[in-house]
Amino acid sequence: MIQEETKKATYTIPVGPIHPALKEPVQLMLEIEGERVVDTDVRVGQVHRSIEWLGMNRNNPVQSLYVAERICGICNICHPFCLAIAVEQAANITVPDRAEYIRVIAAEMERIHSHLLWAGVAAHEIGFDTVFYRTWQVREEIMDLIEYVFGNRVTKAVLQFGGVRRDITAEQIPRIRKSLDYYKSVFKHLRRVFLEDKTVRMRTRNVGVLSTEDALKLLAVGPSGRASGVPKDVRQDQPYSAYADLNVKAITPDIITGTVVGDVYDRIIVRLLEVKQAVEIIEECIERMPEGPIMSEPKMPRLLKLLTDAAGEGVGRVEAPRGEDIHYVRLEAGQSTLATWKVRAPTYVNLVAVPTILRGMQIADVPITFASLDPCMSCTNRVLVTDRVTGRKSVMGYEELHRLSVEKTKELQR
Amino acid sequence: MWEAARTILKQLFQKPATNIFPAKYAPESTLSFLDMVAREEVKLHPPVTIPPNFRGKIAYDRENCSGCQQCYKVCPTRAIEWLPEEKKIKIFISRCCFCAQCVDVCPVHTLAMTEEFLLANYDKYADELVIIDSGELPGSVKRKKPAAGAAEEPAE
Amino acid sequence: MNLVIIIFGSALLVFIGGFFGMLYRGIDRKLVAHMQARVGPPIVQPFRDVRKLLMKENIIPDGAISWLFNAAPFLALVSTGSLLLFIPLFGQPALLGTYGDMILVLYLLIIPSLAFVLGGFASSSPYATVGAQREMIIMMSYEAPLAVVALGIAWRISHVTAANPFLMSTIAEYPIWSLLGPVGVIGALLMLFTLIVVTVGEAAKVPFDIAEAETEIAGGLLVEYSGRNLSLFYLSDVIKAFAMSSLVVALFIPYNLSPLLGITSTVGGGIIDGLFFLVKVFVVMFFSISLIRAGMARFKISQASTVYVLAMTMVALVGMLLVWADFVIRM
Repeated sequence: MIQEETKKATYTIPVGPIHPALKEPVQLMLEIEGERVVDTDVRVGQVHRSIEWLGMNRNNPVQSLYVAERICGICNICHPFCLAIAVEQAANITVPDRAEYIRVIAAEMERIHSHLLWAGVAAHEIGFDTVFYRTWQVREEIMDLIEYVFGNRVTKAVLQFGGVRRDITAEQIPRIRKSLDYYKSVFKHLRRVFLEDKTVRMRTRNVGVLSTEDALKLLAVGPSGRASGVPKDVRQDQPYSAYADLNVKAITPDIITGTVVGDVYDRIIVRLLEVKQAVEIIEECIERMPEGPIMSEPKMPRLLKLLTDAAGEGVGRVEAPRGEDIHYVRLEAGQSTLATWKVRAPTYVNLVAVPTILRGMQIADVPITFASLDPCMSCTNRVLVTDRVTGRKSVMGYEELHRLSVEKTKELQR
Repeated sequence: MWEAARTILKQLFQKPATNIFPAKYAPESTLSFLDMVAREEVKLHPPVTIPPNFRGKIAYDRENCSGCQQCYKVCPTRAIEWLPEEKKIKIFISRCCFCAQCVDVCPVHTLAMTEEFLLANYDKYADELVIIDSGELPGSVKRKKPAAGAAEEPAE
Repeated sequence: MNLVIIIFGSALLVFIGGFFGMLYRGIDRKLVAHMQARVGPPIVQPFRDVRKLLMKENIIPDGAISWLFNAAPFLALVSTGSLLLFIPLFGQPALLGTYGDMILVLYLLIIPSLAFVLGGFASSSPYATVGAQREMIIMMSYEAPLAVVALGIAWRISHVTAANPFLMSTIAEYPIWSLLGPVGVIGALLMLFTLIVVTVGEAAKVPFDIAEAETEIAGGLLVEYSGRNLSLFYLSDVIKAFAMSSLVVALFIPYNLSPLLGITSTVGGGIIDGLFFLVKVFVVMFFSISLIRAGMARFKISQASTVYVLAMTMVALVGMLLVWADFVIRM
């Protein structure tokens, strides 16, 4: 009997927009052959909230600053920070030194909180709930500290054009030091739990590899890029704010392991070491913080008038916990809103690398790999114009999916 | 593997890290539970202590308000409604994002953040969530009261 | 045996199995929660869960094969219930112990998993398909070490008695530990370890809960199930865990307490034995399910399959070899 040639057909599994593996809505259409991913289609745009439109059409810059804070809950300092740098550049406002240090302290606290949150989520993705709870318990300390210093656990609401709104007084410093000491003491435990656990290593070593040339070609930023051996960090390459006084080095995984593989395990290393680095930076900032005013223009009506009359362009670049964040701002004289405001969040760039990373992975690896890039969809959905990364237009309807799934089953039974 | 095993065995014999606010287990019926709390048959476990300078629900001293509209101009979410006839404001908590810009900006310190954070409600416009007047605030800078019928004082 | 007694006893056993299954599930969740520094749900939570599920609407997806979709949960519950008829519970001989032995139990253990798989394939969802494929692979993988352990014990017992060594009553009469010297004890410990790892896979808990992985395939096999169907699956899951732990107890710790304490009355002895059985099952469940669930991450399907087919079978074979060596030495 002549056997006719059978072709392997792929079937598509949609991951998202609502999926337990994703913390924020994004749709990954995975083309699967058996259990291996052949290709991925990333569709963003599910959390678009027209924040840039608000900034350009309805809000004055001071209002936009706090709307920018809500671009993302976890990255709630980096976006206002970036916008503040851009607007201060456009309007020629100088920031007093003490305010710069407080901004850096807030940014580093946000980095600690974000990386610990990510570590817990990554542990949950691989089914290791105990580590998830333990990491978030450790994270409670920084949340309490942020609440004590800035007023709320998550959104710090401390930035303003020309400085910061709250000062860190001398009475608050012992409490800050207590938290930092706690983190220094618990770091070894976290390191052992994540990096030396056998099951974690089984799930993360050689999974989701992004080689160094691919990282350079696809412009991966942030810890995802550094884990692949690309030592770029905005705080090191173009220091802004108080980072110019501190000496921040980009962290790559060969500090601990000696080699760079570019897999999920390396990303865990980079983020844990960045937590340690953030603790050290905060300590140094507290030591070196100069005395002085915290706002260059404390009177609001004058500030608003200054911003309305200002004209110019500004670009702010900030190292967010997820990578390089850029805001472009243009101010026109006499216009009370921002004339142009463009936000480019780090995850938008990292998403381009997703199909490359996911190729050849098992379905079981998809959540942890995608989560290891630390995607922040709320940051990403800032693009008004395009919302399709690949440009392919094939949409699989329900019947088609079902038919493919049934075909796949029949093929397996043969 | 061993670090995880050590952690779980240690934690098995320790007190849980959860702050069991308001009660240890969810009650069968929330309303009857609240009734029991009101009759003092059951005590609520208190929440984690709130630090000073916490940004909770806003409080507004209407009498002290000078009508300068500064808070209205800086609210990012348009939670403050300006009432032109009375020259006062109304604050909608369901829109408020708790940034406290209005508090910082007010020249007569007539706005303040309280420590209240239990703001859940079925109705966006319930009375607790629309602030018209919270009475006198401690620490507000009293301004000179206008004579009856005279025009409002100009803002700073 | 009287047909009436069989029917009445079976129904009673399913109820008792369900009750204790849910109770032990609640205790497991509480213990795991405390190990994770949480408070956890109250111990009666599984009862509440089943009650809630029975109140919810039973939704059948449009593209599902509806007769199979509805039949699979019933098949799962019925086959799990029938397991309880052949495993000695509460220190008493199994209800139908003379009609079926351990080989029957091993075969019966496949049917609930098969029912899950059928339910998954009938669900017409790609997540359920992937989950069902994984469950099939896991099911096939853990049969090998399970069979080796059963063979090892039965082989040793067959040299002591002429009765059928696979009968559960024979195994209860000749506890394996009393037949072995030090070398054999090590072998039996290896086999016990293998059986505990197989228990985790049977009960579908971390690290082997791949078929129902919440974070990966959004619930896997059970993603389309709701309401009464889901409650039947849930019940069959808890009873299977209880039955599997009872099997471990029956194979490796078949001791009764009443002879040791010298209690000869049937009622008193029965109660003491029953309570002791519950303690034994609790110990097995704590070490096999709770502790391992809290302390490990989930495996990938390829890793889980490798662990069972290669590593665990090897361990069980070494154990059996040691038991054989012990027998030869002591001859």
